[in-house]
Amino acid sequence: MQFIFNLTIREIRSSWRRLLFFFLCIAIGVGSVVALRSLIQNLSLAVGTDARALLTADFEISSTNTFTPDDISRIESVINKSTLIEARNETITTAAMTRPSNATQEGLQFVELKGIEPPFPLVGTFNLSNGKPFDFKLLENKGAVVAPLLLEKLNLKIGDKIRIGEADFEIRATFDEEPGGQSGFRLGPRVFIEKKAFEETGLTRSGSRIRRRILYRTSDNPTPVVKELREALKGTILTVQNYRETQENMGEQFVRTENYLSLTGLLILVLGGIGVWNVARVFVEQKRKTVAVLKCLGADSRKVIFVYLLQILSLGLLGSLFGIVLAQLTMWFVGWRFGTELPEKMSYNLANSAVWQGMILGILISLLFSLLPLLQIRQIKPSLLLRDTNNQQMRRLDWTKTLFAIFTLGGILGIAVWQAGSWKVGTAFLVGLGVTSAILYVAAIILTKLLRQTKKFSSFSISQAVNSLYRPGNQTRIVLLAVGLGAFVVLAVQSLQANLVREFDFTRNEKLPNLFMVDIQRSQIEGVKQLTAEVTKEELNPVATVRTRIAMVDGVPIDYQQKEVRQNQGQIGREFAVTYRPKLEENETVIAGKWWDENPSKETEVSVVDDMARTLKVGIGSVITFDVLGRKINATVTSIRKIDVRNTRTVFMFVFRPGTLEIAPQTFALPIINKIPAVERARFQRRVIDAYPNVQIFDVQDILTTVTKLINNFVLAISFVGSFVMLTGILILIGSVSLTKSQRIYENAILKTLGAKRGSLFTILFTEYAILGLLAGLIGAFFATILSFAVTKYILEFDWEIDYGLILIGILVTAILVTLVGTLASFDVLFKKPLSILRSQ
Amino acid sequence: MIEIKNITKTVRSGADDLTILADVSLEIPDGQFVAITGASGSGKSTLLGLIAGLDAPSSGEILIDGENITVMNEDGLARLRSDKLGFVFQSFHLIPSLTAFENILIPLEIRGEKDAKERASNLLQEVDLTNRGHHYPNELSGGEQQRVAIARAFANNPKILLADEPTGNLDSRNGQHIFELMTALHDNKKTTLILVTHDQELAEKAERQIRLRDGKIISDKENSQG
Ligand SMILES: Nc1ncnc2c1ncn2[C@@H]1O[C@H](COP(=O)(O)OP(=O)(O)OP(=O)(O)O)[C@@H](O)[C@H]1O
Ligand SMILES: [Mg+2]
Repeated sequence: MQFIFNLTIREIRSSWRRLLFFFLCIAIGVGSVVALRSLIQNLSLAVGTDARALLTADFEISSTNTFTPDDISRIESVINKSTLIEARNETITTAAMTRPSNATQEGLQFVELKGIEPPFPLVGTFNLSNGKPFDFKLLENKGAVVAPLLLEKLNLKIGDKIRIGEADFEIRATFDEEPGGQSGFRLGPRVFIEKKAFEETGLTRSGSRIRRRILYRTSDNPTPVVKELREALKGTILTVQNYRETQENMGEQFVRTENYLSLTGLLILVLGGIGVWNVARVFVEQKRKTVAVLKCLGADSRKVIFVYLLQILSLGLLGSLFGIVLAQLTMWFVGWRFGTELPEKMSYNLANSAVWQGMILGILISLLFSLLPLLQIRQIKPSLLLRDTNNQQMRRLDWTKTLFAIFTLGGILGIAVWQAGSWKVGTAFLVGLGVTSAILYVAAIILTKLLRQTKKFSSFSISQAVNSLYRPGNQTRIVLLAVGLGAFVVLAVQSLQANLVREFDFTRNEKLPNLFMVDIQRSQIEGVKQLTAEVTKEELNPVATVRTRIAMVDGVPIDYQQKEVRQNQGQIGREFAVTYRPKLEENETVIAGKWWDENPSKETEVSVVDDMARTLKVGIGSVITFDVLGRKINATVTSIRKIDVRNTRTVFMFVFRPGTLEIAPQTFALPIINKIPAVERARFQRRVIDAYPNVQIFDVQDILTTVTKLINNFVLAISFVGSFVMLTGILILIGSVSLTKSQRIYENAILKTLGAKRGSLFTILFTEYAILGLLAGLIGAFFATILSFAVTKYILEFDWEIDYGLILIGILVTAILVTLVGTLASFDVLFKKPLSILRSQ
Repeated sequence: MIEIKNITKTVRSGADDLTILADVSLEIPDGQFVAITGASGSGKSTLLGLIAGLDAPSSGEILIDGENITVMNEDGLARLRSDKLGFVFQSFHLIPSLTAFENILIPLEIRGEKDAKERASNLLQEVDLTNRGHHYPNELSGGEQQRVAIARAFANNPKILLADEPTGNLDSRNGQHIFELMTALHDNKKTTLILVTHDQELAEKAERQIRLRDGKIISDKENSQG
């Protein structure tokens, strides 16, 4: 319709300034969704979701032990009759300490050692730093191909030799990218050697954590072979991994992460929606006369609603487009600020699907949130032009409105479910948001009511300021809700961070070791102790550790055919280091069953940590069958322990009663508690490795630094997103200020004609927003504190401490922000000449 | 032809009902110029509003060209206003976000007229505001605003023009001008003109004068010179 179109354009021309904030609210919401989604998608692309390339095979069989003849025959019974197999190779990996072979050269470095045999790789390409393809000849006769980082760390060059365990290897080349990529957490740079040469390092003898793999390339979907293999290998501790399943899991995980994160964006968008609702509401209120005139001139309600709907949709579209620009800017910022910590190949462009979703979301949210207020247009009676009654019937709910309200709610629910990718999460998100907003809103009502009760303000300005919080059409509650919600999110994140950092502040743990040695052989332990005592002069308590895997629980083998079990593989299918001791440690408490007395016993008893017991679904009396280097040990669970991790030096999921494991192959771990200065520490580590090359030394300080950095980055990211919630709140504040500006101008004009000075008008303005900001800060801080308490105590399950400083700063910053923004946004009001205003009224 | 049959308008004010119009009946033939006078609060605006279908009477019916407007829904009324009615108000009621020219354009565009722009500029010329078309209402004087309002009211060639104290906010010279403009258009276009006014002098110039008191017609006479 020409009329609707023309009028829409003319109306936008005059009111875009007032609707600007609506536009910005949508832009920021859309920007957040698009940026978050793009970030995750690009990240998953960069990390590589190509499971086949990561696995460098179609499927693999892996074990932490050597493959027994029985294992091999079981495997071959399946493989030999399969027609799918194209190629096969074996690898063997471990973490090891390495140093320059030249004894006079300093330095020591953890590396991830991988022994390979041709054909390698089965899948993917392997190129060297010099651009040439990898040639197996480089490894022959004790050659090594290493990551360039190793040369840097040990100050070596190609041609130099390194010592790993008991053998020396000549560095023949470096590579920039290895098959399987640089995924996950690594202890150190990768070193490739020949699989044959691996044995010569002596590492296989010393009981180090070694993983052996047999990899296969197939001509077709490997799933049938994998299924048969799992059947044949039931009851062994071998695991079979199929790239297709891994692919599925990884894909699902990334999609889930993407969806969950984008909910944060949706939160901002919904908050923007509240802003839209507010703008539309006030807008309709202010456009009452225009609507009445239009109706008088013969336009029906539908046409008028269309005019304003079209106006809001156009701005919603523009807002979404601007949001996409913002998202791109954010991506570039992330690249600039965090580029070094993100994968090298990461792209910082927007993902197409994210852009589309953002556009659709922006328009849908604009539409849904403005529909209900726009329906008020139907109830504007043209007769108000004859006598200006306050159209009191405007608020009344009728069927149409109820219907549309339900439609709106349904629409928002639909959006939440769509974005979360799950009914449950979407609904939970909406309910959570609804409840939070309702609580904040009620708190805002109560606080403003209370304020009104205390009417004893002596100063004219202050009582005027309080009064203006209640003027008809005031925006007090909506601003309190929006800014309060912003303050709430930001403060809750900050408070959680404070508690998290405190929890992981290991410097407060006096028992935390400084250095941690593992894989010390029984024959080496005295020597290591002696060497260490010379340096640290402390009482040393080596801990015996036996490496095991869980074979069965209550006689039922762990079924890796089951998807859940496979997904939990990291938790229960992994290798566990267990120990045996007569006593509980100080930081442990038995929460079920009974700890054994100190005498060794032939009956095998085990104590399980509570979390692990839950994962395995075991209780007192359950029998867990452990596999120790092929030997099966049935252990009865006699107690369940809880460990206070903050005061610990070791965490053993399983502790055995003395009497069984003493004869099992075992190594010793040695925590060193006394601090050693950095230079001396490096020398000491080198001395230990020179004498006992199979021993591994962890520098706990290094690990802590990495962990702390990780937490800080994580928190920074969340705070960054959280600050957008605050920003949206502030935008809604500015929007509200500009919406009610004409009223304030009129009031001020009257006050001026009554003799009020500019100074006192300023005080009124200032005080009004100071009160508003203070209330918003109080509400935000109060509920943030409650949330942080609940999450810390009941979800993260550690002690919570109140942080008065944070609360105080939170309230103050919110108050100052609101005062500043509110006052500045209305500042020009003070300088309007009263005459012109009164005349135009 | 406007037929008003026994209309009553009561409103609730607090506990009791307030009768604003009591059993008013009236017939206005096409093309007549009627002035409605009466003291403040006598129900003039209410009557005018009812004729325009801006509000519904409590009882009785109003027929415009034989069509009962008291039973029409909002859409029907909107069409009626668009086709047959024009309004001029005491406080002008121009749309502040639109220029003078665009205000005149609105009723034409609602009807989907083809030559809307051309006709709007003609109307602007008729009210002698050709060079003020691009101005916004707040940039015009009261008299000028009312002239725009009149141009707007006549834009869709209404059969009936309803004016509620169009000169009430203007000084006598401007008021005179507005009055002349309206009567001239009435004469040219044979429009029925219903004018609510306090100004006895103006009322005398109408063809017919209806006087209200407390919601009742107390006199209804044809003016000799009208
Ligand atoms: N919606 C309403 N609610 C209550 N009273 C009303 C309503 N509409 C009109 N009235 C009352 O009805 C009476 C007539 O009102 P109306 O506006 O028609 O008077 P009027 O003759 O136009 O007066 P004036 O010359 O002052 O404009 C007044 O006393 C007014 O207060
Ligand atoms: Mg009146």
